[in-house]
Amino acid sequence: MAAALTLEGVNKRYGGFHAVRDLGFEVGKGSICGFLGPNGAGKTSTIRMILGLQPATSGRIEILGADDGRKVRDRIGFLPEERGLYKKMTPVDAIAFFGSLKGVPLGEGRRRAREMLDAQGLGAAKRKKMKELSKGMSQKVQLIASVVHRPEFVILDEPFSGLDPVNQQGLEAMIRGLAADGATVLFSTHVMQHAERLCDKVVLLARGRKAFEGTVDEAKATTRRFLELEGAIAPEQVQGLPGVAEVEVAADRGEVRVIRAALDRGAQGQEALKAAFLGGLDVRRFDLREPSLHDAFIALTGDNPDQDQSVKPAGQEAAR
Amino acid sequence: MNRILLIARREYAAYAKTVGFWLSLLAFPLFAVLGGAVPILIKSSEPIRAVAVVEEGPEASGLAAAIRNALARDVERRQERERQANEAAEKATGMPMAGSSAAKGAFARLSGPRLRIVETPPEIAAAAPGAAQDEIVRRYLTDETPEADRLDAVVFLSREADGPAARVWTARATDDTVEDFVRDALRAANRKALFEGAGIDPAVVESAESFRPDIAVFSPKSVSGGEVSLRDKLPTIIGMAGGFLLWSLIITGASILLNSVMEEKSNKILEVLLSSASPTEILAGKVLGVALLTITVLLAWGGIGAAGLLSFAPGQAAMVGDILLTGGMIGWFVAFMVGGYLMYAVLFAAIGAFCETPRDAQTLMGPIMMILVIPIMTMSMAMTTPDAPAVKIMSWVPFFTPFLMMARLPSDPPMLELIGAMAGMFAFALFMVWLSGRAFRAGALSDVKLSWRSFAGAIRGGGN
Repeated sequence: MAAALTLEGVNKRYGGFHAVRDLGFEVGKGSICGFLGPNGAGKTSTIRMILGLQPATSGRIEILGADDGRKVRDRIGFLPEERGLYKKMTPVDAIAFFGSLKGVPLGEGRRRAREMLDAQGLGAAKRKKMKELSKGMSQKVQLIASVVHRPEFVILDEPFSGLDPVNQQGLEAMIRGLAADGATVLFSTHVMQHAERLCDKVVLLARGRKAFEGTVDEAKATTRRFLELEGAIAPEQVQGLPGVAEVEVAADRGEVRVIRAALDRGAQGQEALKAAFLGGLDVRRFDLREPSLHDAFIALTGDNPDQDQSVKPAGQEAAR
Repeated sequence: MNRILLIARREYAAYAKTVGFWLSLLAFPLFAVLGGAVPILIKSSEPIRAVAVVEEGPEASGLAAAIRNALARDVERRQERERQANEAAEKATGMPMAGSSAAKGAFARLSGPRLRIVETPPEIAAAAPGAAQDEIVRRYLTDETPEADRLDAVVFLSREADGPAARVWTARATDDTVEDFVRDALRAANRKALFEGAGIDPAVVESAESFRPDIAVFSPKSVSGGEVSLRDKLPTIIGMAGGFLLWSLIITGASILLNSVMEEKSNKILEVLLSSASPTEILAGKVLGVALLTITVLLAWGGIGAAGLLSFAPGQAAMVGDILLTGGMIGWFVAFMVGGYLMYAVLFAAIGAFCETPRDAQTLMGPIMMILVIPIMTMSMAMTTPDAPAVKIMSWVPFFTPFLMMARLPSDPPMLELIGAMAGMFAFALFMVWLSGRAFRAGALSDVKLSWRSFAGAIRGGGN
């Protein structure tokens, strides 16, 4: 798959603060790529460099064949992390205005806006002012504003933040729709579940450095499966089972315990389970759990993606 | 270019479509009219003070009559002045004095007497001078006495060795109207007595006092090349008005821009805009959009002013038109407006890019507003003494050039000075565009709190 975006050895410094370190990855045309990491990991700085809003301190960025995002501005759609539209404008006018800046004539922009708002179930909100819309509605309007010009590359910075589960689901469907129409999508998030459901590829970022680049399955394969056993059993008994690497007591209710066993890499867990039953262990419940992307992230970086890594050096611009 | 126009169009429509914009636009001329009319109305509604006059002893005989005569002469003089003013206005406008009877009543009251002599209450007249009499007077000046009988002042007249004297009791300690009037009246009475004592005919004295010389002023620089007329004084008034108009238009426009950028920053719109247009395009579009708003304001104010002038003083309207168009003043006005607006607008926009609330902007806006007050304070000086070295030097300071040069324009400053100061202003305006452009670019994506240090850092870094 040809690359729509390539980063090589990209660094970003704000004075003495090193926000992005030697970052390199590729995003294939027409794919959905998740750009994952906790708040403050350097995602927003990287996105701004891709868009050409901020220059990289060093390194090379190529997007849609251009060495500067500003040169292909009209072919890119961007939804920033902190969002807002003109409060006194109607959604149709706001969408048409931002479309016009990307080369869509105002009349055509209005037509597309009405069509897209209807498709998103926002037909009733067309004549309202932006300030009268709910947060979920205005977020959808903003996403429409960022793609009304039918961009080839869509960059979404934390698109799910602040949305309720129903709207998150709707947004996921919109992102899938964009990719189905042939657009390349790069979205940043610190919530791994969205990436797990949506992405063809993920790039994991921690403290400004790339921790992983590959598919979701490849990311999961880097970590262990878990076997959870509940019953009148001792940790030492579980530790002795085949393929078990580490055990921990997840819950202790006197005689009955919940023991979580991390399996050796490549181990499927059936052997351990079989040995447990054959060995006569008093197992009352068991659960063989696949590792999640969240687990993979922790395993790969040693960080929790839900923890904020923001650093705001005195007198320097905040790197997000 | 297209993006600049799109941003300008949105910026213009965002304000021009609001009722508030048109209300505030009309508020200025309305308040200007009110500002002129209110003092007149206050003056005309001033109560006529009831004054009792008491002669203390036979030596003071005739002083009360002198006060009454002075009051009568004052009324005559005021009526004469009113008549002359009406005649001058009719001559200037070519129209009879229009206006409602209420307005005429208000002006008549303005020229009417400010006090009236009333019958002295017998209690006061009969009382012997001293504490008891003072007590009675106090009662008549306060609400111990019913309003119908209450007095505003009691004047005790006496004659000392060196001339007439008076003790004035007034209801309000801060009101010196009666005191001033009595002083003038006694001075005139004394003068009259002295001249009469010297054997001069009272009619001669009266005639000498009422004489007003007719003075005509001539200047080689007057329009006619001889006698100076209203036509020669109008450019100075227009220059001064133009300076103030420029000041208020530029500050209004720059403030709109500051608020607009601040709103976009706080609503997180700037980052979206930046992904669609370059910082230069955004800044240029916003500056252009607000410039169009400012022109709208100028046209509306100019239209209202022209309509008012044509309705009430068509003669002067023709003169003003002549000065503005054939005198070239309008061309200078436009040039100073463009340069001045550009200079302040980009600076305010750059400050706005760092701020989310007006409080954030205070750090930098405070000193800038202090600088902006200077031309307002010096503009009248530039009009009366346009060649004063301080005024000349200050009009070369780009931040003051548009306002002070506009005020100096009627005094025909040397062309070299005019062109030089204007060139300096435009050069500085372009420097400000470059400087503010860098700051705007950095501020738009920055979370840093605005300070002189961060602003200077942003200009140095230019957002990189």
